[in-house]
Amino acid sequence: MKKGVFILLIGLALAAAAYGCVYFICTSSARSLEQSSQPELAWLKDEFKLSDSEFKRIAGLHAAYLPQCAEMCRQVEAQNQRLKALLAATNQMTPEIESAVAESARLRGLCQRHMLKHFYEVSRTMPPEQGRRYLAWVQERTFQSSEGMMHVK
Amino acid sequence: MNTNEPGHHGESLGKLLQEWRADAPLPPRFQDAVWRRIERAQAPAAPSIWNVFVDWIGMRLPRPALAASYVAILLAIGVTAGWTQARHETARVKGELGQRYIRVLDPYQAPRE
Repeated sequence: MKKGVFILLIGLALAAAAYGCVYFICTSSARSLEQSSQPELAWLKDEFKLSDSEFKRIAGLHAAYLPQCAEMCRQVEAQNQRLKALLAATNQMTPEIESAVAESARLRGLCQRHMLKHFYEVSRTMPPEQGRRYLAWVQERTFQSSEGMMHVK
Repeated sequence: MNTNEPGHHGESLGKLLQEWRADAPLPPRFQDAVWRRIERAQAPAAPSIWNVFVDWIGMRLPRPALAASYVAILLAIGVTAGWTQARHETARVKGELGQRYIRVLDPYQAPRE
């Protein structure tokens, strides 16, 4: 009986150890991406199989784009607040609301042009096949997404 | 002599029972049915699941071939479960990082306070 129980426990312990080891080894790439200083860029390098030199150029483009993006974010947020205040103050269309809606549309267009320019630059830095895949991927998640319509709170 | 004594009653009852004859016919296959009931009553009770398990652990698991198979199967289950779970976790993390990349670049998807 003792021998049987010992074998039973050994089997269970080995199964648990095998689970832990395989899980640890197979998630190591995801862990290293998460622990890098810029996880989203580390993910980009991994996902689009970038060489170190390609990654360096793309990291440069990314760093140059971020201040523009932050400024756009600030303008979009301010415009959203303005529109929200105007909408709350009345129950009919006013020239101010028309002007605010037009300004929101102008900002959105400007923002999309900046993004698209950045996406093209990044895609040209990648190997052609990966560049095409990158463009399709980002366009699907930005230009074909309805996320932007949901931000007037 | 007192006719109400218990001994006197017993004698009368015995006499009466000896004279009594059952004329009603027995149901068909009566004897077979009686024997079947006796056999069922004498049959040993089915072993419980726990007893089967204890018997399996004590008597069968220590056999080398069975022990090796048992350990190999559990190892395979552990490896498969670990690999499957790791695949899901990796896909989840990569999906989140991809979304994070988009949120960094798209002001309309940037997190707001």
